[in-house]
Amino acid sequence: MTAVVLDGIVLGLQFGLLGVGLTLVYGLGGVLNLAHGQLAVLGAIAVWLAIGTGLPVLPAVVVGLAAIGLLGFLLDTTLMRPVYARRGDERVLLGLLLTLGVAFIIDGLLNWRYPIASLNISIGGDPISILGVRMRTGSLLASTIAIAAAGLLLLFFRGTTLGRGVRSVIQDEEGARLVGINPASVRNLIFALSAVLAGLVAVTRSMTSPVSASAGIDFTILALIVAVVGGLGSILGAFVAGILLGIVNTVSSFYIGQYITTIVLLAAAALTILLRPSGLLGRRK
Amino acid sequence: MSLLLEVDGAEKRFGGLPALDGVTFGVDEGEILAVVGPNGAGKSTLLKTIGGLERLTAGSISLSGSKLDGLPPYRIRHRGVAMVMQTPQAFASMTARENAVLGAMFGSATGLLSEREARVRAEEALGFVGLSDRAEDPVATFNLHQLRFLELARALAGHPRLLLLDEVMAGLNDAELEASIGIVRTVRNQLGVTVIWVEHVMKAVMNLAERILVLDFGTMLAEGAPADVMRDPSVIEAYLGSSSSA
Repeated sequence: MTAVVLDGIVLGLQFGLLGVGLTLVYGLGGVLNLAHGQLAVLGAIAVWLAIGTGLPVLPAVVVGLAAIGLLGFLLDTTLMRPVYARRGDERVLLGLLLTLGVAFIIDGLLNWRYPIASLNISIGGDPISILGVRMRTGSLLASTIAIAAAGLLLLFFRGTTLGRGVRSVIQDEEGARLVGINPASVRNLIFALSAVLAGLVAVTRSMTSPVSASAGIDFTILALIVAVVGGLGSILGAFVAGILLGIVNTVSSFYIGQYITTIVLLAAAALTILLRPSGLLGRRK
Repeated sequence: MSLLLEVDGAEKRFGGLPALDGVTFGVDEGEILAVVGPNGAGKSTLLKTIGGLERLTAGSISLSGSKLDGLPPYRIRHRGVAMVMQTPQAFASMTARENAVLGAMFGSATGLLSEREARVRAEEALGFVGLSDRAEDPVATFNLHQLRFLELARALAGHPRLLLLDEVMAGLNDAELEASIGIVRTVRNQLGVTVIWVEHVMKAVMNLAERILVLDFGTMLAEGAPADVMRDPSVIEAYLGSSSSA
């Protein structure tokens, strides 16, 4: 049981990182990025391509993540502009449709150019014992990276004025503008950051199991579930939800079966919405 | 004294209805100008167009000779125009200090400040409005009067040249009103900040304003020293309704 829970936490930390990017973009601009998972996979494939050119793994990861961050920035400054120019339901709908289009385009391109590509970073070394459970070094490294990234994010958003500036836009865009903050540049920055985080999740995931070019939709659905359960717009909520859902995931696939896990996760999301419509740590409107 | 703000032929229409129509006036550096008028006269719209929250349909606004209208609110903030709204906008999930530091860091004309410099300015501003001892308190625990003072501190932390106050004295008791009048006067006297102030509370206006501008249906009805303006027959009529029809 301990092993299953530990595995769940390893997975959950990555879920959290995946969800936090989605939740930030939604909180800032009201855009639920349906291409989030595709950006993650595109990041992984970028790393795979970089490794293919002969780069060592670490520089390849840096190059791949920088590329996906740049793409995120460009998407936000070009394609998303008409979305942010609208208000209310119109913005939400246009955002959903445009990002869904981006998701299809990325999926199509990957399927066309790299149908059998998959990133699989193998981390050598003997298993290490944690709480009496032998953990693979790949899992531990993936978790360490996820914990470090989560810690840095929380430190930035809670402990620095720049991070509080970003949070202020989430809370009240007009109030933030009155303080002198430009919401558009904050959104640019966070969309890029969100893409980098998505790419990072795909990379850490590839340390324990291969990430294929067609995995985008799975990542997107996971990110949506995590963000909704955590409370859209809540950074801490995404991590809490990620870890809980990670444990639910491994427990259900261990005791019930892999095939049913997605249904269990969706049920957990549905239950959360029924009991707490604003998510675990979401603000009530 | 030199002219700080110039509003020339300002017009704002919502649909076909004019909220502002041909409003022209200037504000000198260091002046306290009150804008009064009946409900719906366009007072708040005027402040919002200066602050960039609403766009003019025609006319222009300039600060020290450079064009202000058409700029987004954060750019106008960086030019030194800070706004305090009737409904407090402080971020409820943060402490008073965190709010003030935000104002210092992002509101400054010189771009982003260092964390340390922003803290120093925030501390000064909080001290100025008398909220130093509440700096660590979450904003959710503040009452309306304290929230408005905190907003003022947040605005002042960015070292503005022009302060726009939108009915910040509404709903205060006598003691709070007196404190508010005192602080606005001190802001001008000690910091040299120019103030444009929309207000309904006439007691405060007569006490504090050096010049009054009266708006009615978006047009300027009168302008001048408080005592003179309030004796103006057209102003009396706008406030009390027409007496000639009786």
